[in-house]
Amino acid sequence: MAEWRNAVLLRSFRHSSFSHLLLPLFLSVQAPGPAGPWRAVLDLAGGPLRFALTVEQKGGTWQGKLCNGTQCQALSAVRVAGDSVVFDIATYAATIAAVARGDSLVGEYHNVGRRGPRTIPFRAARGRWPVEKGPGGLTGRWDAQFLTDFDASPRVIELRNDRAGLEGTIISNTGDYGLFWGHAQADSFSISHFDGSYVYMLTGQLKADTLRGVFHAGLRTQTRFIAVRSNGAPHLKSPSEITTADTAPFRFSFPDLEGRQITEADPRLRGKVVVIDVFGTWCPTCHDAAPALVQLYKDYHARGLEIVGLAYEVSGDSATDNHQVRLYRDTYHIPFTLLRAGTNDTEAAAATLPQLTNFTAFPTTIFLDRTGRVRRIHAGFYGPALPEQHAKLVKEMRAEVESLLRER
Amino acid sequence: MRNYWRLSRLTSHFLPLTLLIFGVRSPLTAQDGLVAERSAFALWLANAPDSPLAALAQQAIGTGLTLGPEDADVPLKNSTRMTVREEGSSVMLNHQGTKTPLPRDRLTAIGPYQLRPAGPSGRSVLTVFGPEHRTLIPSYYPADSHFVMTGSLTKPASRVTHRILMPDGVETEAIEAGVFTIQLESGPANLKVYRIADEDTGESELVIYFQDLTNGKGSYPAGRFVTLTPRDEITYLLDFNRSRNPFCAYSTAYACPAPWPGNRLSVEIKAGEKYGN
Repeated sequence: MAEWRNAVLLRSFRHSSFSHLLLPLFLSVQAPGPAGPWRAVLDLAGGPLRFALTVEQKGGTWQGKLCNGTQCQALSAVRVAGDSVVFDIATYAATIAAVARGDSLVGEYHNVGRRGPRTIPFRAARGRWPVEKGPGGLTGRWDAQFLTDFDASPRVIELRNDRAGLEGTIISNTGDYGLFWGHAQADSFSISHFDGSYVYMLTGQLKADTLRGVFHAGLRTQTRFIAVRSNGAPHLKSPSEITTADTAPFRFSFPDLEGRQITEADPRLRGKVVVIDVFGTWCPTCHDAAPALVQLYKDYHARGLEIVGLAYEVSGDSATDNHQVRLYRDTYHIPFTLLRAGTNDTEAAAATLPQLTNFTAFPTTIFLDRTGRVRRIHAGFYGPALPEQHAKLVKEMRAEVESLLRER
Repeated sequence: MRNYWRLSRLTSHFLPLTLLIFGVRSPLTAQDGLVAERSAFALWLANAPDSPLAALAQQAIGTGLTLGPEDADVPLKNSTRMTVREEGSSVMLNHQGTKTPLPRDRLTAIGPYQLRPAGPSGRSVLTVFGPEHRTLIPSYYPADSHFVMTGSLTKPASRVTHRILMPDGVETEAIEAGVFTIQLESGPANLKVYRIADEDTGESELVIYFQDLTNGKGSYPAGRFVTLTPRDEITYLLDFNRSRNPFCAYSTAYACPAPWPGNRLSVEIKAGEKYGN
């Protein structure tokens, strides 16, 4: 483990007049190998994106997690060899490979795109990020326009303080970008979301009631934005106005996880209010929606609600996809039917559901009345990262189901 | 660096040494970043199922494309007849009497082959990959800091889009992002910059496809691609050491992007990827 010793500190101590005071402290904090908390950074062209890594050794095996503030995900593997360490994020076929230099880690984050690997410089220092909350003038709901070249598109930015510091979310017409975490200094802030696949950072500054800044995606993409405090009027298109359906009874025919073909004419669905959940196990927002759908089912199944999940998966191979869907079902204890509908391509999904117009988002929730007709379509889902919208949406879904159940 | 690593009383004692490690704020141009990027790319070329070194064919789907037997548009060894067609906005595969959608921008395995449709509806292309990789190790001019330059982007007066081929031979609609002016020994030169979006990740890049006097004499004859890195709101960094060949340089299966008019430099850019040995 010699490689992992704190070379910088050791060298410095020899020249330090305080070494006799600090040495015991230093010895007590020296951790074996990469174990412990790390303040990690991806160096984007527009500045450092902060996140946290925690590594520990359990029963001879290294393991770790990657966190954005309070939200963490387990790494699929931590491989340590000599002075190098590799963090695997298998869900997204991504890795962070680094070497120890003194008491820090220096390396790269990689993931594979269609035109080759994407590489972003990575570095980390031992310790935890400080909690830096934002001033009251910064928190709240902001109506933003993202500006690229000659286009502007609406977003809502929500900023709030949590125990890990400043948190936030960005919402587009089709859903949110997940939980962002970061820090603020006076009127400037930086929040980010890095989950192994998406590399997002929002930086900005408040000046005279206007928030201006940059949305960073990946190493090099930068989109300017300008935002004003929300006056409560809707800034985004309502998620129930995006995707529409024809007026005929809704038809589908897909295999369940045992390979039996299930259609809308299934006796279990006859005369019932049916909620169709168009989802994919690869889609983080779909994971956010799953517990809410399970609760909806538990509360209304006895009164005539059925839920059918249509899974659009990555591989297209039935064995692999069924396995993923079973894992998803078991994780959320899903009591309703899940069907394997196709692959996770918006256009391919649209092709398997030809009655829908403008199918754009995973998940999409479709509400059918007792005659099988589409009554409401909700594109996207507001996850718990947006507590208020999440609560409102769940309430609306319950109201919709209750109203449809009352129809005879 | 300002307040970046919150320094405790303990570590602030060693601030100069901390700065040695973290103070070099230019990892994007650092030599080790370039080496890591190139080795990751070489590994990807050698191993990825969709590496251009595994590509067998890339063809427009047009009114329908047949794959398999010798008389097919794309002959494939030991493969029964398959047809690929565009239907509405979807790409459908007919194989052994069953019709399945082929998701765009994704690989679908059919026996030992991998198929990937891409490009705009109605003008999609299908790229077919085989199980074997040819051997090719990309080579580069030695890194040279003279070929790292900053400049600003002069935006066009109105929104103009162009249908162009990306490095992988797939068509996209690119927005004219402006003109980037660089200072060469011979005087100022202008390069046209397009914004190319990746709908999958929401990311987009400012791309330059350029030609120079090394083309055909050390570098790839058709030209090379390089991307701009933003420095601040108006300044960008252009690092010719990071210029890359289009995929047609690795395999004749690919369509080669036509040079962008006006992007021919009258100097030798002895930086970035070479062609041949």
